[in-house]
Amino acid sequence: MTPTLQIFLIVSAALFSTGLLAALSRRHAIFILIGIEMMLAAANLNFIAFWRFGPPHQPPTGVMIALFSIAIAAAEAAVGLAMVIAVYRHYHTTNVDQLDQLRG
Amino acid sequence: MSYLELLKLASPEIVIVITALVVLAIGLVTGHAKSSATISTAKPAHTVSHTSIATGICSVVAALGLAIAIGAILMLPQSTTLFGGMLVITPLTRLFKIICIALAFFTVLLITSQKPPPHLGEYLALVLFATVGLMLLVGSEELLMIFIGLELLGLSLYVMTAFDKTDVRSAEAGLKYLLFGSTSSAFTLFGISLIYGMSGTTGLAAISEKLATASVQPLLAVGIVMTLVGFAFKIAAAPFHLWAPDAYQGAPVPSAAFIASGSKVASFVVLGKIVLVGFAPMRGSADWHAMTAGWSPVLAALASLSILIGNMVALAQSNVRRLLAYSAVAHGGYTLIGLVAGGRDGFAAALFYTTIYAVTLVGAFGVVGLVRRKTGGDNFSDFSGLVSRSPLLAGCMAIFMLSLAGIPPLAGFFGKFYLFSTALHASANHGLLWLVALALFGSFISLYYYLLVLKAIFVNEPSLPAAQPFDRLTPDLVQRAAVAVLAAAVLFLGVMPDVLAARILAALP
Repeated sequence: MTPTLQIFLIVSAALFSTGLLAALSRRHAIFILIGIEMMLAAANLNFIAFWRFGPPHQPPTGVMIALFSIAIAAAEAAVGLAMVIAVYRHYHTTNVDQLDQLRG
Repeated sequence: MSYLELLKLASPEIVIVITALVVLAIGLVTGHAKSSATISTAKPAHTVSHTSIATGICSVVAALGLAIAIGAILMLPQSTTLFGGMLVITPLTRLFKIICIALAFFTVLLITSQKPPPHLGEYLALVLFATVGLMLLVGSEELLMIFIGLELLGLSLYVMTAFDKTDVRSAEAGLKYLLFGSTSSAFTLFGISLIYGMSGTTGLAAISEKLATASVQPLLAVGIVMTLVGFAFKIAAAPFHLWAPDAYQGAPVPSAAFIASGSKVASFVVLGKIVLVGFAPMRGSADWHAMTAGWSPVLAALASLSILIGNMVALAQSNVRRLLAYSAVAHGGYTLIGLVAGGRDGFAAALFYTTIYAVTLVGAFGVVGLVRRKTGGDNFSDFSGLVSRSPLLAGCMAIFMLSLAGIPPLAGFFGKFYLFSTALHASANHGLLWLVALALFGSFISLYYYLLVLKAIFVNEPSLPAAQPFDRLTPDLVQRAAVAVLAAAVLFLGVMPDVLAARILAALP
């Protein structure tokens, strides 16, 4: 079976939904970050698949965007982990339900 | 296109990046000097004066860099487009880059204080990087560049929110802001990927051409809605506003001011460009008698939810910063009405409204910061009797609150008038009447909670016995001057709104 655009889109949609589900249902900050990374990865897969199955001899926009967004996702993960450590220092937990100083 | 030309056209951004690096270096060097002095147990008094001079240098360098960047913008040609819209220079982008830099300038003024935060150099560098993010957002008509600008802005703002390491709330607000913000940027990126796939391009003008000829595909609709959801997070439109109250309350005051002002202005400029330029053929209609699918009913739904939820929840707040956050949600809803109305007039009204709103909020946060420094809190009780402690701050806060409520002759009144009248005339048979009526109803509600703040300031007796009167010659003279200038600007823009409104209208194509 040759891969078609549809298969890639289905895989990326599944990856995005799994990531979103993880981000919404998990209470542990690290798991939420993992879910967000999965959502970004799904978008990258889309970009590359659309470029691969697009018209021939087009500028490699999709690949360029994927490269940039990988770098951005890495920066986001770095900032996110730093933030989790900062929170852990104060609360001694990373369960987002227990962060309840700000409410109303 | 030579590199030299690119350097010339991107010179304002380059100037600010260089300034940020210089400020970072100064902060690093003086930070080292401070720690070594502590180790060698030098005279403490000497150390203090040394650091205050260093922080002063940092702030002056940052302010100078921003001023030079404004000069560089004025030197740019009137209109150019680079790389299919990645860097666009038009009167509109020039005007809004200047506005963003001015907002950053006032944020820098709010930072400098008698007791500067540790690592001031790093903080100022983050503010400057966030400013570059704002400028990239404003000055681009290409989805990749817009995404990079959003992330540069977002990542800087997350760290700025969590910057106060001693404060539990700051860390908590930072983490919440980061989790909500990066989920929303994942939505935006996924939406952009679908739009790229369906149209084969990422330039806004090219997307618009493709959309005009192609039939509407479901994937494209999903892509547009997901992109809009991402931006709804950024402008804190309900039901995607949950991060805003925490970030506004927990973040250090200058960070909150910057999130409320600069970030919002740039997001509205770019959201307006995306929907009015890029998605123009997919507009649909939000008129009550002829509703058709498109982005404008989506934005209308976001606007009405924001107005209702923002105003209702703001009624129940007892913390001034949280109140400002919920009212920010409502104001985001008012501004969206301008985009729903669409066209040149609607966009101009939305941009005018968001600009004066940003100016007002920077000032209000300036007052909150000064009160917080004296009393250590920002609940209503900390504001009670402010008028007897500092008539200047009380007067400025009154101007800001009444402007937010939309009382003439302040800027907020004209902004609302312009926005609502444009929306009424935007479509045949007053199709957006329902939205305008809702917004007017929201404004009535908002008057109540803004007056609650003023009641605390002017009527209530000072509840804290320890609250001393503000000294006349405190070192936070700079902040007071900044707040007074902003209050004067709000008053001036209310009396002579044409100074700004005509400029924005002229800048739009």
